[in-house]
This record gives sequence, C-alpha cells and structure tokens, in this order.
Amino acid sequence: MEPILSRNFNVPDAWRLSVAQSRGAYETAKKVISSGKPLDVVAAVTASNLRGLGGAGFPTGKKWQFLPKDSSKPVYLVINADEGEPGTFKDRYILERDPHQLIEGIIISAFAIRSHKAYIYIRGEYVEPFMRLQSAVDEAYAKNYLGKNIFGSSFGLDIVVHRGAGAYICGEETALLNSLEGGKGFPRLKPPFPAIVGLFGCPTIINNVETLACVPHILKNGPEWFVKLGSPGNGGTRLFSVSGHIKKPGVYELPMGTPLREMIYKHAGGIRGDKNLKAVVPGGISAKILTANEIDVNMDYDSLRNAGTMLGSAGVIVMDETTCMVKALVYACKFFAHESCGQCSPCREGTGWAYKIVKRIHDGQGAVKDLETLLTIAKNMEGRTICVFADAAAWPIQSYITKFRSEFEEYIG
Amino acid sequence: MSQQILETLNPEAQKILAKYDEKRAAVLTLLHLAQDKIGHVTPEVEAWVSQWTEVPVVRVREVVTFYSMYRQKPAGRHHIRFCTTTSCVLLGGENILGHLKKKLCIKNGETTSDGKISLEEAECLCACEAAPMMQVDGKYYGDLDEKKVDQILASLK
Repeated sequence: MEPILSRNFNVPDAWRLSVAQSRGAYETAKKVISSGKPLDVVAAVTASNLRGLGGAGFPTGKKWQFLPKDSSKPVYLVINADEGEPGTFKDRYILERDPHQLIEGIIISAFAIRSHKAYIYIRGEYVEPFMRLQSAVDEAYAKNYLGKNIFGSSFGLDIVVHRGAGAYICGEETALLNSLEGGKGFPRLKPPFPAIVGLFGCPTIINNVETLACVPHILKNGPEWFVKLGSPGNGGTRLFSVSGHIKKPGVYELPMGTPLREMIYKHAGGIRGDKNLKAVVPGGISAKILTANEIDVNMDYDSLRNAGTMLGSAGVIVMDETTCMVKALVYACKFFAHESCGQCSPCREGTGWAYKIVKRIHDGQGAVKDLETLLTIAKNMEGRTICVFADAAAWPIQSYITKFRSEFEEYIG
Repeated sequence: MSQQILETLNPEAQKILAKYDEKRAAVLTLLHLAQDKIGHVTPEVEAWVSQWTEVPVVRVREVVTFYSMYRQKPAGRHHIRFCTTTSCVLLGGENILGHLKKKLCIKNGETTSDGKISLEEAECLCACEAAPMMQVDGKYYGDLDEKKVDQILASLK
C-alpha cells in the first residue's frame, strides 16, 4: 500500500514549508479555494466515509452538517491535538513531521464549514511538536496561505495554536472547549452539541488532527478512492500506534480493517524475544482487552465493536506471556484515578476506589469479595456520568477481571 | 520580585490577548508565559493573569490547581517528567524510575537539595514507541536504560 498520511514522515525536514511544497502541499487547498464550493467539499467528505479518528468514529461529514444553516454567529473550527490516550502517539507524528498536511486540511475544512477562525488545542507536554506546528503556521501566514484573501480568493482564515496544560480529560471535546475558554477542563452536558453551542457559545466543529489530515487527500483523489482504501463504512487508512512487547514499535499506516494478527506479526515484527502473546489492547487503554485467542479480528470500528471492544484511538498495546495482568490493571486504574476531572461522583469516587482496591490485591492484601466489589464499582460508573471517561475507566476493570480472573484469584489466594 | 518580571511580560501579554476572540481564553497561555519566566505560579502571577483576562482571581487559582503542568512552588532548574503508564511500565520503566530516584536522592514531586533537578511521575506522554521514556525540560528521551539515564543526567548543567 502507498502511504498517504505518512508519506512525508521519513522525508527530512518535511515540516518546513519549502520541503512540504516540493511534495505537493497546499496544491489541493489552492484548487479547492479557487474553484470549489463549500458544499461540494462537505459532500465529498460525507461520501468518503471519513470517520473521526480521535476515538469516537463519528462520521465527519455528518458532524459538519449539524451546523445551523442560518446562524448569524461566527463558526469556529477547533482541532483536537490533545493526544493523551495511553498507547497512542500518531497525532504527534503528524504535528512533528508533517504539520503542513494538517494546516492544509484545516484550510479546506474551514472553507467547507464557512469558518474564519481555527484554534488548534495541543497538549501542553508536546513542547517540540508545538514549536514545529507554530513555525509551520507562521510560514503559511508568510505565504498568505493563512490570513486574509487566501490564494487570492475572498476567503480568509486565522489559526491560533493554543497549548493545554496537562489534563487528559481535555481530549474530551466539551472539556476542551471549557479549557480553551480559560477554565477547568470539565466536560459539558450534551445537548446542546458543540455544532450548535460550542466555543464562546457559537457553532463549533471539533475534529481530530488525523481526521483533518485526511481531508486534502479526499479532495485530491476523490471520495470513491478513499472509500475503497478502507472497509465497508470505514473509509481510508489509519495510523496505528503499536507499542509494548513488540519487536518494531511505531506508527503504521494501514487500511482500515487490517487484521490485528497481521498487524502484530507481519507489520510490527511479532513479539519481542519471540515470546508468546498474552493480551492486546486494541484501541488505547480505555478499550476492552483482547486475549491471544481473540486477535483474528479486523481493525475497524464496526468489527471491533462486534468483538466487544473498540478501535478508539487505534493505540495497540501488546502484552507478552510474562505480563502480570493484575499489575497491568493497577497501572490502568492509576491512570484513570489521576485523570478523572472530579466533576461527577461515580467517576471521581469510582476511579479512586478501584485503584486502591486493585493495588491492595496486587500488594497481597486482597479479599475474596474484592473482585465482585470492583465489578460493581465498574457497573455503577458506566453510563452514569456527564462524559464517557467513567465508561472508559470501567472497561479495563471489567475486561481484565473477566478474561484473566484466575490470575486475580491467585493473588487473593 | 515576580512583579518586576511580570511588567516585562506585558507587551507579550498584549500580543497574546489580541489573538483570542475573548480575553478569558488567554488564561492558560498567560500562565505558561509567566511560569516559564518565573519558574512557578505565584499569587502575583494569578493577579496579573486576572487583570489581563478579567477572569476573577479565584477562577485563575482553580485553573492553576486543575492542570498538572502549573506549579505553585519552585521546581528544579531542570524538570523531569517520567512516564509511569502502561507501555513504559511493560518495558521496565519502574526499575529505571527507581534508579533515577536513587541517583537523585529524591521522591516524586521533590527537588534535589542543590535545586538542580525536580522529578514528577507523569501519566502517558504519548511516546510509547520509545518506551520507557521521560521528558526533561520539554525534550523527550526514549528507549531509556540506566546507562542512558546517567548520561542524560550528566549532560544537565
């Protein structure tokens, strides 16, 4: 397969405008802005089956169409570059190695949704990616690819690169909006959805970095081409982040629907030290874990949902036979306990207690009833909070204990 | 002391404010700016941010305490964030963190007695392909082992 999103990842200095342009950057944006109509772009993205690649998988074209048609308020485009899902690092590759691909996607998408102001919310710890991205934005301004009258048209767009300050929850789109407005990252109740009431109370579209990086390619090669790259209902390729006990960890661009077994053993070289596989997290730490017997599954949204888990952020964490699943769950629970924003009681209390109890089991102080208590806590977190963070925290608890119960029982003795 | 530094930041603050559609959106950015210069967020910094953004100082304090990157006490001249999440742990991060703590004689959240290095255990920094990894003053270092950690520490001035 020809790389698409990752085509410039190994080209030296592709983050500089001159190099990016020698590789075709901004040609599609120029064509679209000069001759295209916004509605044509929306139609192409809708027909391409592009789905949100931050984790939720919502159809991008459909999301754009939620914008009110007759609002007098400005429309904002917000780019979610708050990558934080454990096991995921693909947006960092785009930001560091090919930021112009993202900026071109932003220009075309903003044009499509009639927005003249875009905010890129990048996680605070991404200091070097921020500097690369900011310098790319500055270069784009200098060439008038951003600012007023882009490519000699009447269309104008400003981009502000905004740094977060260390809070996983701000990857949740409404928490991100509150953070961008200068407050704590507390998720908002939906509805109203951001497309109606978003940033500063105005209609707002929030898209992930990788999602928008796909847009220039869709417009260049046509939606049918993009559809064919993927699996039914899941257009395009995907940047899979592969880490853990794997021979060749890294970002792999593969068609949506690539079998997990092929990804692990063919593309990423197999298990370190040729050990046996024990378990795989298929879509970031929140996704329910798969055992070694469950890896004959296609890596797309629908197939993984049917397998009882999710594609999420496509962060694949591989665990070999030496992995202690109790310890793995201790660290997953620690993460969620640390990152719960504290707004809803089931999540704030549930993540804290789950961590304490799993840690107690790991320390040899567990009681027989602890496993049932943990499952009850998880059940009482699921679907009972403002955002899906509590669900995401419950899924590892449920799946690790259910699928590796005997290991937990051994600790309890 | 921090008041004088803040005054020198006013022109930069003005530029930042101009980029945002509403003043309050600049809270995080101004806090970063001030902390980068002063080393931590003092009450004077909070008041200064409040003045520029017209956000009540109590709301600024909320923000300071909500986000892990802002600190209310000084850190070391070099700040280390050591990743303690899944992929880094799977590949031996705990042992390397133990080595680092022993070498620096500090625990999580502490600063060496000479004020040179502070340590923070961090959640996933999203560089799992290079696990185990840490961040020193903004820069990522991956594929760590004890020897590599020693070399990085020796390179810090």
